[in-house]
Amino acid sequence: MEIYLPIAEMSVHWLIILGMGGAIGFLSGMFGVGGGFLLTPMLIFYGVPPEVAVATTSSHITASSISGAIAQWRKRALDLKMGAVMAAGGLAGTATGVWLFTVMRRYGQMDLLVSASYVLLLGTVGGLMLKESIETLRATQSGAPARRHTPHLWMHGLPLKMRFRESRLYISVIPPVVIGFCVGTLSAIMGIGGGFVIVPAMIYMLRMPTNVVMGTSLFQIIIVTAATTILQATANFSVDIVLAMFLILGGVIGAQFGVRIGARLRGEQLRLLLALLVLAVGLRLFLGLVLKPDDLYSVTTVMR
Amino acid sequence: MRRLAAALALVALTVPADAAENLVSGISQDTVEINSSYTGTDIVVYGAIENPEPTGVDDVVVIVRGPDANMTVRQKQWVAGIWINRDQAKLLAMPSYYYIASTRPLDKIAASFTLERYEIGLDAIVPGQIVSHHYAEPFRQALIRHKKIEGLYGESPYGVVFQFPTLFRARIPVPAGVPRGQYNVVVYLFRDGNVISAQSTPLFVDQTGLERRLHNFALSSPLSYGLSTVFMALVLGWISSLVFRRAD
Repeated sequence: MEIYLPIAEMSVHWLIILGMGGAIGFLSGMFGVGGGFLLTPMLIFYGVPPEVAVATTSSHITASSISGAIAQWRKRALDLKMGAVMAAGGLAGTATGVWLFTVMRRYGQMDLLVSASYVLLLGTVGGLMLKESIETLRATQSGAPARRHTPHLWMHGLPLKMRFRESRLYISVIPPVVIGFCVGTLSAIMGIGGGFVIVPAMIYMLRMPTNVVMGTSLFQIIIVTAATTILQATANFSVDIVLAMFLILGGVIGAQFGVRIGARLRGEQLRLLLALLVLAVGLRLFLGLVLKPDDLYSVTTVMR
Repeated sequence: MRRLAAALALVALTVPADAAENLVSGISQDTVEINSSYTGTDIVVYGAIENPEPTGVDDVVVIVRGPDANMTVRQKQWVAGIWINRDQAKLLAMPSYYYIASTRPLDKIAASFTLERYEIGLDAIVPGQIVSHHYAEPFRQALIRHKKIEGLYGESPYGVVFQFPTLFRARIPVPAGVPRGQYNVVVYLFRDGNVISAQSTPLFVDQTGLERRLHNFALSSPLSYGLSTVFMALVLGWISSLVFRRAD
């Protein structure tokens, strides 16, 4: 049965959308990531207008993060104060990102903004993850403990220090606010939750204990993606609630299977697979930018 | 003298001489409703020629034109290794939908200046205004090509079929992506290359039911719409965590 999407203004087969949501949910359950970085390009390849794809994916991530956040909350494995500080930066970042989105759309450079952000982010993150997981795999094989890269913590000298009891940290609020801001901006532009940026940032830059990282990042992702959804709906009218519903339904079902498969694989293998997946999506978008398009012209229609 | 000629012309236009050829036409439905299962439909335009004359060649052209829209056509260029949108042309007041069906290819029906005068044919569609620093014709061509691929512009050179010597019909596709609004169905009767009669009928395309309400909701109160979407996401995520926890 075909369904008509009232905002995307196209008719799609509901099983395809449910299946897409399911596949993304499966991967996100398996790898423990939100999956926005895969869902947005997938929707765009399918023909959903990029602005609708980006904005609608945000609400999908809100839904797929909530069950994880509830589970972590029950275990008290989250730092609410840190989450709130990062979310404050995140909200400012979201507003900036949506504004940037609106401006670029006006100048016809929105596709470029989305694609270029994806290529840069996925290329960097995928590359780092690939490097790290190969090193870990090698180290495990040779029996030596894996070497961890920790950057020099110049940020510990910054003012405005605050105590974060659950994270057992006494640090300046500037780094978490800035990280939150950057991820919030990316979230609005790319329709991602940013988990795969925020988790490493929390571990390596803020030095948060790993047991609270998952819950805190999910908490901050829910707030930021919820805000993104609302801002995109008000500024760009680009959230499609019907599309969101079918994606979420597929997503929550797929995630349950993904979690079960993911539990059987080893961490290093999972990270290697995820790194390859991230790089493949990044490469596909990169080719879209550098290869000569079949049609040089594009048309935007605005009803009077 | 000139005034007399004008008056005579007016009389000729307003008083139907009962021997003159004339056109009557209608459409199979005066509204197209886009609902949740809408995947496109066909409307049928039909009509008859009254008082046909025994000599000469009659042709019928049916045009369905959607509400006007402003369109921006952008051209990608190779800049610093990547393809980005550079040149653009804004074509204002272009039809959002345009389908033309005729008894024969248009160039056989009438001379090009006649077609241009009545904006008959894809080549004759011109924007109300062009905003561009560039020669706009390639942009207009690209627009027509794109709209044809989307199914929003189309032509059918033998799409008007005479079932009886004076009864004709044409099937016009209305695909899923059509914009909402008031459409105009115009039927032209040509005789030996000249328009001798024309008839225009409005056609309304609108979303109905839930789709219409959601669309209006999203545009009229975007804040509540955004909040509702977030609420739905939270509830669905929460319910699923309850359901699957019990299953474990």
